[in-house]
Amino acid sequence: MTLSYVPDDSLAHRLDPRSKLLVQVGFAAAAYTYTTPRGLAALTLLAVVCLRLAGGGPRDLWTYRVAFPVLLVAPLVAGATLGTPWFRVDRAATTGLASYRVLLILVVAAGYVRSTPVRDSRAAIQRSVPGKPGQFLGTGVALVFRFLPLLKRDLLTAREAVRARGGGALPVRDRMRLVAVAGINRAFGRADRLGTALNARCFAWNPTLPRLALGPADYPALAVGGGLVVAAVASVV
Amino acid sequence: MIEIEGVTCRYGGGTEKSGDGDGKADGDRVTAVANVTLSIPDGEFLIVAGANGSGKTTLVRTFNGLVTPDSGTVAVNGTPVSDDLVAARTAVGMVFQDPRDQLVASTVGADVAFGPENLGLSHAEIDRRVADALAAVNMTGREDDRIASLSGGERERVAIAGVLAMEPDHLVLDEPFTGLDEPARRSVLDRLRELRAAGTSVIVVTHDLRDVLGLADRVLGLSAGRVAVDAAPREAATDLPELDVRVPEGAFDDRPVNTGADDTASDTVDS
Repeated sequence: MTLSYVPDDSLAHRLDPRSKLLVQVGFAAAAYTYTTPRGLAALTLLAVVCLRLAGGGPRDLWTYRVAFPVLLVAPLVAGATLGTPWFRVDRAATTGLASYRVLLILVVAAGYVRSTPVRDSRAAIQRSVPGKPGQFLGTGVALVFRFLPLLKRDLLTAREAVRARGGGALPVRDRMRLVAVAGINRAFGRADRLGTALNARCFAWNPTLPRLALGPADYPALAVGGGLVVAAVASVV
Repeated sequence: MIEIEGVTCRYGGGTEKSGDGDGKADGDRVTAVANVTLSIPDGEFLIVAGANGSGKTTLVRTFNGLVTPDSGTVAVNGTPVSDDLVAARTAVGMVFQDPRDQLVASTVGADVAFGPENLGLSHAEIDRRVADALAAVNMTGREDDRIASLSGGERERVAIAGVLAMEPDHLVLDEPFTGLDEPARRSVLDRLRELRAAGTSVIVVTHDLRDVLGLADRVLGLSAGRVAVDAAPREAATDLPELDVRVPEGAFDDRPVNTGADDTASDTVDS
C-alpha cells in the first residue's frame, strides 16, 4: 500500500486543504510543546480522530513501517551508556516520548495525505504563501508528492525482482545492497522520465489552481488548528 | 503541419570523430537520428516504423522539444519548436510507450486536468476538456477512479485522454499497443480511427504494423537513424521487413509480402 490520496467522501475530504494544513501545523507545534504523558494522551486521541475523519485506519500507518525501527531503536540508543549504569532510563524515556510525538505527527499527516489531492495541497500553499516563495513551495510539493509514490513502487519492484530470482535466501546485507543499488539506478531513471512527462504536459509554475472555498465544516477545523497553535505558543511564552 | 529539416540527434558527451551520421557509435557519441527531413501534413495518419534503436522515439521527441536536435530545425504549425516550447507541446500531444511514465496524478480526473491546468485555462474550460477527453476514450464518469486501480488498457486510455485534453493538432503515440490485450488494443484503435476522422494528425511509432497499417496514409521506415522507407502503406509493405519491421501477412491480398515475422501469427488488416 502506498500513502497517497484516496478518493472518498469523508469529512476530511470535504474540508478545505488550508484548514487541514492549519490543523497539521498546530498539531505538530502542540506535540513538541506538550510532552507530558497526559498531553500526549490527549494528542493521541486527536490524532486518531484526524485519521478516522479522513477514512483511514491502522493500515495507513503500515505505510510508515520503514520509520518504525528508527523510532523504536532511538530510545534504546539514547539510553545506552558506555559504562555503568549501562542504561539510563530517564534518557530513554525522553527520547521515547520524542519518538512517540513523531509517530503522532505521522498519523495526522497520513490523514492529510489520504484526504488531499496533490493539486489541492499546491493550491493551499500557493494561496497561503503569496508570490514567488509560494509558487516555489507549491511546485516543490507538486513534484515531491508525485515522485515519492513512484520511487517507492520502483523500490518494491526491485525487491520483488531480487526475490523472484532466489535473492530471498541471500543475507540481509546483500539483499539491502542489491535493492539499494537497483533502487538508486531506478530513482535516477524515474526522475528523468517524470521530468520528461512533466515537460511534455507543460508543467508550469503558475497553473490554474483548483477552486478552494471554506465551508461550514472548515470553521471547527480552523478553530482546532488555531487553538493548537495558540496553545503551543502560550506554553512557550 | 510538422516540418523537419535536416535533423540530426546524437547521444553521449564524448568527442566526435567523423560525424558521418551513420547511426552508430561515433567516437563516444551515438547518432540516433541522422539528417532526417520530413513533412507531416495536418490530418495525416503516419506510421514511424523501425527496429529497436532505429531512432523512432528520438525523432518524434523532437516534434515537441523533448529532444533538442544537434543540428537541423523542427517547426510545428510554422513556428520553430525552439522558439515556443509551450506552443509546440500544446500542438503536439505525446503518449509515451509506458503510460506509467506519463500519468502524474493519483486519480483519473486530476491526471486528465493536469495539462489544461498548466496551460492556465479557466476552470470551466478545464472541466469541459476533461469531460470531452474522457468521453473520447469511453471513460466518462470515472474521474474519481484511482490510477493505481486501473488495468493496463485503461491506463493507456487515460494517458491518451490526458493528451487529448490539451486539444493537440497532432497526436504522437509511442508503441501504443505494447502490453495491451486484444480488447484494449481494439479500444485504442477505435479511438485512433475517431481522432483521424475528426482531422487530428496521428503519428504512431511502432515496430509491429499489425494493428495500424490499414489506418495509415503513409509509412516512414527508419534504419540506423535514417529514413529508409517513405511511402504509402502498399508500397512500404514490401521494404519494411528488411528493416525488421513486422508487416501483417496478407495485408495486401494481391501482392505477396515477406512478413518478416518469426512466429505463426496471421493477423490481417482492413485496407
